[in-house]
Amino acid sequence: MVEVDARGLSCPLPVMRAKQALSAAPDRLVVRVDSGTAKANVSSMLADEGYDVSVSEEPDHFRIEASRT
Amino acid sequence: MARHRTIGPSALMLGGAGVIIGVAAAWLVSQGNPGNMGVCVACFNRDIAGAFGGAWANMGGVAYIRPEIIGLLFGGAVAAVATREFRPRGGSSVVLRFMLGFIFMLSSLIFLGCTVRAWLRLGGGDLNALWGIAGIAAGVVAGALFLKRGFNLGRARVLPRPVGWIGTGMMGVLLVFALMTEFGSPAGFVTTTAAGARATAEGAVIQGEAVLRPEDASLVDGEVVAADGAVISPAASVEKATPLPGGRRAPLLISLVAGLALGVVAQRSRFCTMGGFRDLVLVRRFDLLFAAVGLLVGSTVANLVLGQYNLGFTGQPVAHTDALGNFAAMAVAGLAAAMLGGCPFRQVIMSGEGDADAFVAVLGMIAGALVAHRFVIASTGAGLAENAWPALAVMMAVLLGIAFVKRERLA
Repeated sequence: MVEVDARGLSCPLPVMRAKQALSAAPDRLVVRVDSGTAKANVSSMLADEGYDVSVSEEPDHFRIEASRT
Repeated sequence: MARHRTIGPSALMLGGAGVIIGVAAAWLVSQGNPGNMGVCVACFNRDIAGAFGGAWANMGGVAYIRPEIIGLLFGGAVAAVATREFRPRGGSSVVLRFMLGFIFMLSSLIFLGCTVRAWLRLGGGDLNALWGIAGIAAGVVAGALFLKRGFNLGRARVLPRPVGWIGTGMMGVLLVFALMTEFGSPAGFVTTTAAGARATAEGAVIQGEAVLRPEDASLVDGEVVAADGAVISPAASVEKATPLPGGRRAPLLISLVAGLALGVVAQRSRFCTMGGFRDLVLVRRFDLLFAAVGLLVGSTVANLVLGQYNLGFTGQPVAHTDALGNFAAMAVAGLAAAMLGGCPFRQVIMSGEGDADAFVAVLGMIAGALVAHRFVIASTGAGLAENAWPALAVMMAVLLGIAFVKRERLA
């Protein structure tokens, strides 16, 4: 599993970092972000790349989990 | 092989938000806002700056606490709180963000409009905006290349909850001053452009049949005549007097509610007028381009329906025809916005979401407006001001300097 910590980064760095992590074609990917915009943008990018995406709320950030079968 | 999309479902939401904002902006013009300026984050923050620093910065013609800005930020806050997205955060290159906001405002005032108004101007038929939009594309693509090479302003941190409310709180204070002015007891230090005031080429200001400036002048047989009988503005000039932008405004409640509604729409849709070009280059995604296209389509259709559409280069409201100036100014603005990570509209919305850094950028914009007017950098309908080109050169150099220095070593 690959993890990306994109907390505190401005647009579009969370999407760039997540997309970069996809180059290894992981089956599971976790991206941590702390703004609603990053949450939405990273989620829709991962969905567009063919992943199933779920978001959970942690105390001070959002945890985006993407997986594909 | 997994599916792979370059246009996703969010394109529909962003395009829809663009259409709503474009239509609302055109409608706000019909309600009294300046031409092709139903919504302009640069112009409206400038007017707010004029309301407080107008006397110092020669901004008597552009002084009004624009309720749209207050509403937008409130709307962003309401939507963020309602969806549990309110996050107090900040501390990422605060000083540089102030400077980027400052530069964004100066360059926008050379073009005469922010990245939102550029599209709204085109939607009103103002073809000069094409040069501005080409400039935005050039500046944003340059910014995207810097991002690709590792440009990064650094991480923001989680901040104590009250800090996230500073932007919203300050807008609350502005609303109090706006209401005091509206109900006839303005604070002594607040300047407000007279409603419906018009200026002649000679600098006289007329409101209806009254002459506001020079103070001892009066209107005689259609001419502005000084106390000693000398003609200041001949009748032909009075006839052609142009409205002062600050004096053109929709009723306060309409502006406030429209701002609030658009703030909610923008927060939910992640509307941004800069990200389209950037994402196209950087991550090959088209969704955000729909925001700008929606803005253009919505405002064009609404302006046609409302009979406000005027196709051409000349005679456009609050605009000039200097093509190179328009292009260069928006190239600087586009680069500044790309480096900030969002257009000025988004900076206002993020301020409502608790992003203290975004609010610092907004404060930088307000400070930039004062300087732009005090030091003859802001354009007028006649064209570029004396100091516009030197200012653009300095700003471009500063942006490039920041872009080279704030680079992360990519492993």
